[in-house]
Amino acid sequence: MRSPAETRRQRWAIAAVAAAVLVLSFVLKSAYYELILTQVLLWAVLSLGWNVLCGYGGYSSFGHAVFWGLGAYTVALAMIDLDLTPWVSIPCCAIVGAAAGALIGFPTFRLRGHYFGLAMLAYPLAFLYVFQWLGYQELALPMRRDAPVLYMQFEDPRVYVVLALGLMVVALAISLWVENSRFGMALTAIKQNEPAAEAAGINTWKWKMLALMLSGAMSAVAGGLYVVVLLVLTPDTVFGILASAQALILALFGGVGSLWGPVIGAMVLVPLAEGLNAELGNVLPGIQGVVYGVAIIVIILAAPEGVYWRVLDRLGRNKRPASPAAAPRAPVVPLPHPRAAAHGDLLVLKNIGISFGGLRALDEVELAVPEGGLYGIIGPNGAGKTTLFNVVNGFLAPGSGTIEFAGASIAGLRPSLVCRRGIGRTFQVVRAFARMTVLENVIVGAYVGARDDPAARNMALAALDRVGLSDRADAIAGGLTTRELRLMELARALAPQPRLMLLDETLAGLSHDDLDGILGVIRQIRADGTTVLIIEHTMQAMVNLVDHFTVLDHGRLIAEGNPNDVVRDPRVIEAYLGKKWVERVAATAN
Amino acid sequence: MTIHTPTRRSVTAGLATAIGALAAPRIGRAQAKSVKIAMIAPMSGPWARQGQLLKMGSDLAMEDINAAGGIKSLGGAKMEIIFADDSATTEKAKNAAQRLVSDHPDLVGGFGCWLSSFTLAVTEVTERASVPWLTLSYSDAITDRGFKFIFQTSPTAANQAAETLPTALKLAESTTGKKPKTIGIIMDNTAAPIAFVKPLKAGGLDKLGLKLTVDQIFTPPLSDATPLVEKVRSAKPDFLLLLTSAMPDCKLVLEKLDEFKLAHGKIPLVSNGAPFGSPELLKTVGADLLDGLLFSVADWPMKGQEAFIERFKKKTGEAFLTQDALCGYGHPEILAAALETAGAADKLKVADAIRKMNLTTGPAAQCFPGPIKFDEKGRRVDVPIIFAQWQKGVPVTVFPADRALAKPMWPTA
Repeated sequence: MRSPAETRRQRWAIAAVAAAVLVLSFVLKSAYYELILTQVLLWAVLSLGWNVLCGYGGYSSFGHAVFWGLGAYTVALAMIDLDLTPWVSIPCCAIVGAAAGALIGFPTFRLRGHYFGLAMLAYPLAFLYVFQWLGYQELALPMRRDAPVLYMQFEDPRVYVVLALGLMVVALAISLWVENSRFGMALTAIKQNEPAAEAAGINTWKWKMLALMLSGAMSAVAGGLYVVVLLVLTPDTVFGILASAQALILALFGGVGSLWGPVIGAMVLVPLAEGLNAELGNVLPGIQGVVYGVAIIVIILAAPEGVYWRVLDRLGRNKRPASPAAAPRAPVVPLPHPRAAAHGDLLVLKNIGISFGGLRALDEVELAVPEGGLYGIIGPNGAGKTTLFNVVNGFLAPGSGTIEFAGASIAGLRPSLVCRRGIGRTFQVVRAFARMTVLENVIVGAYVGARDDPAARNMALAALDRVGLSDRADAIAGGLTTRELRLMELARALAPQPRLMLLDETLAGLSHDDLDGILGVIRQIRADGTTVLIIEHTMQAMVNLVDHFTVLDHGRLIAEGNPNDVVRDPRVIEAYLGKKWVERVAATAN
Repeated sequence: MTIHTPTRRSVTAGLATAIGALAAPRIGRAQAKSVKIAMIAPMSGPWARQGQLLKMGSDLAMEDINAAGGIKSLGGAKMEIIFADDSATTEKAKNAAQRLVSDHPDLVGGFGCWLSSFTLAVTEVTERASVPWLTLSYSDAITDRGFKFIFQTSPTAANQAAETLPTALKLAESTTGKKPKTIGIIMDNTAAPIAFVKPLKAGGLDKLGLKLTVDQIFTPPLSDATPLVEKVRSAKPDFLLLLTSAMPDCKLVLEKLDEFKLAHGKIPLVSNGAPFGSPELLKTVGADLLDGLLFSVADWPMKGQEAFIERFKKKTGEAFLTQDALCGYGHPEILAAALETAGAADKLKVADAIRKMNLTTGPAAQCFPGPIKFDEKGRRVDVPIIFAQWQKGVPVTVFPADRALAKPMWPTA
C-alpha cells in the first residue's frame, strides 16, 4: 500500500505521461506513426488489464485474448448487425468483459498456478473456433461516409490517439486505485500465499473473481477500440495466441505487478516490433521476428523482473523509507471484553472423521476446549494434528462429525468465514507474504476485524506490540529470522482479536532462548483472554505451557487429561517410542 | 621546399567538375522520374511461400516493364516497386499499408496481399488514401464494401463455387459423352469449403441434375479416412468433390482411395483452389496419386504464356508456374497499362484508367483468362473459370479450350 504522498506522485506521473503522449501526437506528422502510437496505447490497456489479475493477484493467464476478442466482436457485430455506434458499444464491452470474466472464473478458479494459466489458454482458442463456425471469419466495419463522427471513423488519426489515451489513463487510474485499496492488499496476499490469505480472513474467491472481472472488462474495452482502429476483424487476430502472448510479454518485459510495467512494455516492444518489421521485413523477411525475440531474451536476462523494477532498483528507490520511528504508534488497545477463564466450552468437536482415499486421517475425534483455556494437542508425526486444524479452520470439510464454535456450527465454512467468526491460526511452515513488510502482513490479518483501513492499521500495530515486534514493523517479511516470522504470524492471527487461536507447531525449529520468548508471548495471549489451542510434537516445552493435553495417534484420540498424567500414559509412550519403551518405563517405575 | 598553391585554372576545372557531378544526376532524375507501386504480401510467417511466389512474379514483371523502356507516356519513366511484409497478422498488414501510404505519398497503385483478411485490412487504408489496389484474393467481402479503389482480378469465391460444378459436368460430357448423375462430397468444416457447398446443397445440385450419394464432413485434422472412403466405395458416385484445406488431410483421403482401389480415375476427383495445384502438394502426395485430379482456380498458366513459363522455371528453379506468381506478374502489368493510358503518375488518374480499362491483348491480358475489364464494384466481368488437371506430375490448364495447354481427360472406369 502506498503512502498518500506516493499516490499523489503517481497521479502526477499519469498526468505527465498523458500530456507527453498528447504532445507527441501533435508533433508526429505521419498517419502511420499516429496509428502505431494508438496501438501502443491499446496494447498497454490490454496489458494493464492482464496485470490486475496476473500482476497483482499472481494468477497468470495465457488467455487474455478471450476478453480482447469478445470486446472486438461486440463492437463489430453491434455495428454490422444492429447499426450501433462504437460510442455506445465500447462502454458495453466492459459489461461483456466482466460477464465473461465471471463465467470463466467460476470453473477456472478451481485450478491454481500453472494449471490455471493453461486452462485460460483454452478459452480464446475455443472462441476462435466458435466465431469461425458462426461464419465470422472476416468482418469489416462498414465505411460510414455519411456520419463518420457518429461511427468513430475519423479522418484525423490523432482522434484515435486521444481516445486510446483516454482509455489508458482510465486503466492506469483503476490500477492505482486497486493498488491503494483493500482490493490490492487482498490480491497481493493471495499472490504471495493464498492459503494464508484465506486463513487470515480474506475471501480469496471473491477477490479473485472481482480481479478477473475487472481485468476482463479493461481488456474487452481495449479490444473494442482496437477493432474500430483496425476496421477488419478475424478470429485469429483477436483470439489468436499472439494476442494472449502480447498481454503477457508486455507486462513481463515492463515489470509484472507494477503500475507502469505494462505501459513501458507497450511503449518499447510494440514500436520495436513494428520498426523491425518495417525496416527489415522487406530486406530479409522473417528476420524481424528473430531480432525481436533476441531483444526480449537479452532484456529479460538483464532485468528478469522487468524493466520497471530493474530501473527502480538501480535508482535505489525500491528501498522502503527506513523510518519505523516516524510511523505513528497506536496505543495498545485493551481487548474489548477480557474474558475470564472457564466460561464453558468455546470449541466442541464431536465424532470428527475424515479420509483421504483409504487413509483414515481422523477417526471419531472428540475435543472440547473451554473458553480461556490453553490446550495442547500432541502426537507423533502423521498423527493427524494439522489435519484436525485444517478441519477446524475450514481448509478441509470433515467427512463426519460436528464442529461447534461459541455455540454455532462452523463445519464446512470457508476459512475466511471461520476467521470472521473469531478463529485465527498460524501454520507449521510459516506462511508469510514474503514481499510485504511485517506491518502489511499483519494488516492483511487485521482487515477481518476492522471497520476501515486506518482501523486495520491500528489493530495491526497493536498486535505487533503485543508480540514485541514493533521495531521490525517496516522490515520486509522475506528477511526475518525464524523467531521473528513466528511472532509475525502470531501477530497476524492476533490482529483481528480472535476468540480462539490455533497455533500449529509454533515452537518448532526454535532455539532455547527463542523458545522462552515465544512461550511468554503465548502465555500473555492467554492471559489477555484469548483461548489457545496449540499443536506440538515435542512434549517438553508443552508440559509446562498448557492446561490440558489431547494425544492423537493414527488419527485417533488415544489419551487426554492433565499433561503430567498424559505423558506417563503407556499408550502415549507406545505411540511415541514403541512397545519396548513401554515395558522399560514400566520396569523403572516398579 | 615549395608550397603547392592551386592555380586559377585548376580551381576553375575543379569547380566545373563539381558542378557537373551535382547537376548530372539531377538531369538524369528529371529524365526518368520513376513511378512507385507497392506490393504488400506475407513474406514471413505461415504464408511466406505465397508472398515469395508473388514476388518472383513481380520481379519478372518489373524487369520486363523497365527493359521495354518503362512507361512510355511518362517519357520512359522507370517503374519502381516497394515491398512490405505484412508479417502474418491483420494488424501488421494494416500498419504496412499505412506506412507505405504515409512514407510514399507519390504511390500510384499497389497489389496484394494474398490472404483475403489481410487484403481487407490493407484496402481499408488504401481506399481512404485513394490508392488503386489490385488483389487476387477470392473473398466476396473485399468488393462488397462499396469501395472505389479496389480491383479484384480473381472471380470471387461465390462465383467460383457457382461455376465449378457446371463446368466440370460440361468437361465430363464433352470428353465421355455422358453426363454424370451422382456426386459424392468429402470436405472439412472450415470456412471456405462450407461456403462453397452451401449453395449446392440449397438447390444447386438439383438444378444440375446431380444426386448427392456421399456427403461426408470432417473436422480437421483427419486421423483416419477409412470411414469416409468406405462410404464412397459402397455408393460409387460418378465423381467426387474433394474440398480439404490442409494438405495432410488431402493426402490421407487420396491414399485411402488408392488402398480401396478407387484411385487412378476409378472415381474422378474434382476440387477448387490454387493449393490443389501447388508443388508442395506434389511433394506430399506424389504424382501418381494426383494424376487426373481436376481443380477449378482463378488463374493458371495458359496458352500464349509458354515462353514466359519456361523463363520463370529457369529463373526461379520452381517446378512449374502457379496462380500466385502469375498474378504477381500480371498485377504490375495492369498498373503499367493503366499508367500508360493515364499519362500521369497520379493515383486518381491511374484508378480512373483501371475503371475504364478493357484489355484483351498485351502482357497484362495474357496473364488472366478473359478481358481485363472491371465492373463498378471492382470485379472483373466475363471471366471464365479455369480448370487445371494433374497430368504426369504437372497441373496443366485444360479449360477454357482456347487457352488450354492440354486436353482434359475424364477418367472412365
